[in-house]
Amino acid sequence: MLEVRHLTKIYDDGTQALKDVSFSVPDGEFMVVIGLSGSGKSTMLRCINRLIDPTEGEIIWDGVDLAQLKGDDLRNARRKIGMIFQHFNLVKRSHVLTNVLTGRLGYTSSWNSLLGRFSSQDKEKALVALKRLGILEQAYKRADELSGGQQQRVGVARALMQDPKMILADEPVASLDPVLAHSIMQYLEMLNKEDGMTMICSLHYLDLVQRYSTSVIGLKDGELVYEGGKDDILAMTDEQFKNIYGEEAERVGSGLEGNLQANAGGVA
Amino acid sequence: MTDKNLNLDHIIPEDAREPSLVPAPAAALASLVVPGLGQALTRSVRRGLILFFSFLTVVGLILWRFTLAAPRDTGWWDIFKKGLYLDPFLIVVSFLFAILYLWIAFDAYSLARDRQNTPLGVFVFLAIMFFALGWQIGKINLYSFVTNADEALPALGRVGWPWEKAISYESVIFQAEADIEIPCSETPPAVNVVTDEPTLVSSPTCGILSVQEGEPGSELHLEGYNFSPGIEVNIMWKDPIGNEFRQRQGGKYVIIIPDENGYFETDIIMPYRLLPPSATEPTYIWNVFARQVAERGKAKLSDDFKKIVEKMIETIFIGMMATFFGIIFALPVSFLAARNLMSASWVTLLMYYLVRAILNIIRSIEPIIWAIIAVIVVGLGPFAGILALVLHSIAALGKLYSEAIESIDPGPIEAIQATGANWLQTVIYAVIPQIVPPFVSFTIYRWDINVRMSTIIGLVGGGGIGFLLIQYIRILDYRSAGMCVWFIAITVAILDYVSAEIRARFT
Repeated sequence: MLEVRHLTKIYDDGTQALKDVSFSVPDGEFMVVIGLSGSGKSTMLRCINRLIDPTEGEIIWDGVDLAQLKGDDLRNARRKIGMIFQHFNLVKRSHVLTNVLTGRLGYTSSWNSLLGRFSSQDKEKALVALKRLGILEQAYKRADELSGGQQQRVGVARALMQDPKMILADEPVASLDPVLAHSIMQYLEMLNKEDGMTMICSLHYLDLVQRYSTSVIGLKDGELVYEGGKDDILAMTDEQFKNIYGEEAERVGSGLEGNLQANAGGVA
Repeated sequence: MTDKNLNLDHIIPEDAREPSLVPAPAAALASLVVPGLGQALTRSVRRGLILFFSFLTVVGLILWRFTLAAPRDTGWWDIFKKGLYLDPFLIVVSFLFAILYLWIAFDAYSLARDRQNTPLGVFVFLAIMFFALGWQIGKINLYSFVTNADEALPALGRVGWPWEKAISYESVIFQAEADIEIPCSETPPAVNVVTDEPTLVSSPTCGILSVQEGEPGSELHLEGYNFSPGIEVNIMWKDPIGNEFRQRQGGKYVIIIPDENGYFETDIIMPYRLLPPSATEPTYIWNVFARQVAERGKAKLSDDFKKIVEKMIETIFIGMMATFFGIIFALPVSFLAARNLMSASWVTLLMYYLVRAILNIIRSIEPIIWAIIAVIVVGLGPFAGILALVLHSIAALGKLYSEAIESIDPGPIEAIQATGANWLQTVIYAVIPQIVPPFVSFTIYRWDINVRMSTIIGLVGGGGIGFLLIQYIRILDYRSAGMCVWFIAITVAILDYVSAEIRARFT
C-alpha cells in the first residue's frame, strides 16, 4: 500500500509543480496518472522514488515514509521500486546486457562495480529477463542499435532486474507508435498481473487508460482533479477526459473509439 | 497611389521619412568642405559619421604611404611628386582618392534629393579604395611574381623529388704507385708493368729533388692505366719515413681526370727536398703515387636519410609524450571547467570562470611561443618541444573534455540512480560510458595535432625534424630539406588516416 499525503513540490525557481496532492494505491493496482504535459506527473513519480526531493508531504510505503529516507536506507528502498522512462534513458553506447545488469547495481558492492563485475546469477537473471521480453537475440548489441520499442523493452528488463514491488512508468509509450505502445503496455500488464507488481504509470491516450488501468488519478497544474476506479474509467466519456486534458486529448486506434466492450478482449 | 491597401510608409524608418534639412546642392557643397557633413545635414547622421571617419582613415593611410615612399623629401608637394615617381601605384591610389572625395559629395547630393532611396555605391567604392591601399601596403607585385617564378624551379625540383640524396655509394680507393730513386744510381728501380689493376708508370724512375732557392728537380713523365674514367686523380708523394704530401705544380695541386679508358698522362717536376742543401743524403727510394676516390661501391642509405628518419621518430614521440602529459593534466582540469558540475554554488562557479579564463589564455598563445620560452628554461632539444606542446594540449584538451562532460545526457544518470545505485556506481555506469568515446576521440585528434605541431616547434629549437629542416634550409641543402618535407607529409597523412579510423570507432 502506497499512501501519498499532502505532497507539495516547489522548485528553486519558484515553480509550484505539485500542490497538496494526496492519494493511495493498494498493492497490485495498475494506477494511471493522466494530465497535460507540465501538470506535474513526472515530478510526482520522481518524488515517490526521491529522484526529486519533495518540499512537503509524506510518502508512506509499507509503513515507511520514503520522503524522510537518506543514504543507504533510501537506496535500499529505491531498489524495490523500478522505473521506466519516456526516453528509455539507456546508456546508448553500452551493450544491452550491461544496461539490463545496471538494474542490479543496488544489490552489487561498489568494489565489484569498480571492476565491472556482476555475479553469474545476475547475468543469468538478465538473460531470462531479456528472453521474457522477447529480445534475447539483441543482448550483445549496443543499445543505440535497437529500435525504439526494443529499447523500451530493455528499459523494462532493467526495472525487472531490481525484483521490484512497484514500478513507476513515466509516459513509457509516449515516444512509440500505437502498435508498439500496446505491446509495451501488455508487458507492463503482464508484470502487474503475473508478478503482482504495483504499477504507477502516466499516460496520454484514453483508450490505453481504459484498456489497462484499474484506477486513475488526474493532475492539472499540480493539483489532483480526478480520482476514479475501474468502473469510473470505463464509463469515462471523451468529454470528461478532455475536461482534465484540455482539447489536445487523443485516442490511439480509431476503431476502438466508443466501443469500450471490445477493449476487454485485448488489442492486437 | 492606385492601391490604397499597399501603403508601406509604416515600415520605412522614422528618420528616413523626414525631408532633408538643406537643398541638394548645399548638401553636396557641405560634403566637399567636410566629407560626410552633407549626409549629416540630410538627417543621415550615422551615414555621415561613417563616411567622415572612413575618409579620415583613408587620408591618414595615404599620407603615411607617401612619406614612406619618399622618406628624404620635405614639403608636401615634393613628397607627393617623389612618391608618385618612385611608386607608380600611388598614382592609382591618388586617382581613386579623388573619385572617392567627389563621390561622397555626389552621395550627399542624391541623398538630399531622395531620402527613401539610399544608394550603396559610395560604400562599394570605399571598399575598392581600401583594397587599393591594401595592394600598395602589401607591396603586391604580380609582375615579379610571374617573371621570376622560374627562379624557384631548381629549389622546387629538389624539394619535390629529393630522393637522389637518400642513397649514397661506398667510396672505393684506386691507387697505384711507382718507386723513384733519389738520386739516380746505376740500377734505378724497374719500370712498372701494366696489368688489369690501376698502374702508374714513371719515366724515368729516378731523379733529383728540387732545391729551395736553387735548381729545380728532375722532370718525370707519369702515365696512369686502368683508373676510373672521369674521376679526379691526385698525384702524391710518400717519402722514406712515410710522410704523404700532394704534388704541387705552378702553385696548385696536381689533379688529373682520366679519359674514358681510365688512362692519363702528365709531367711533374720532383718536389723540394726537406733537408738543407748542405746536408748529404744517401740514396733513397721515394714513392710517387696516384690516388682516386671513386663512389662506385655498394648503394646504401645516406647519412642524411638516416638522420631524417631518426628525427622523424623523435618527432612522433615528442607528439606522443606531449599528448600523454596533456591528458594527465587535462583530465582533472576538465572537471573544473565543466559548467554543469561547477554551477552548484558561486564559489565553484567562480572557479569555473577562473579555470576557463586561464585555459583560454594558454590556448590563445601559439605553441611556438611556448617553445621559445621552454628553450630558455630547459635548453634546446626535444624536452623543450614537449613542454610547449604539453601546455597547449592541457588547454585544448581541457576545453574539449569539459565540453564533452557538459553535453552528457542526464537521463541515464537518473535511471541508474533510480535502481538504488550509489554515487560511485552511477559514475561508473552512467557517466563514464558517455564521456569515454568523446575523450578518446579528442585525445587521438590531439596526438595528430601534436605531431604536426612538433615539426613546427622544431624550427625554434624544440627538437624533432623541424630542427633539422630549418638547418637544411639555412645551408641551402634543398634535397635534404625536401626529404624532411616528404617525411613530414607522409607521417601526417598516415596519422590523419589512423586517427580518423580510431575516432570513427568511438562515436
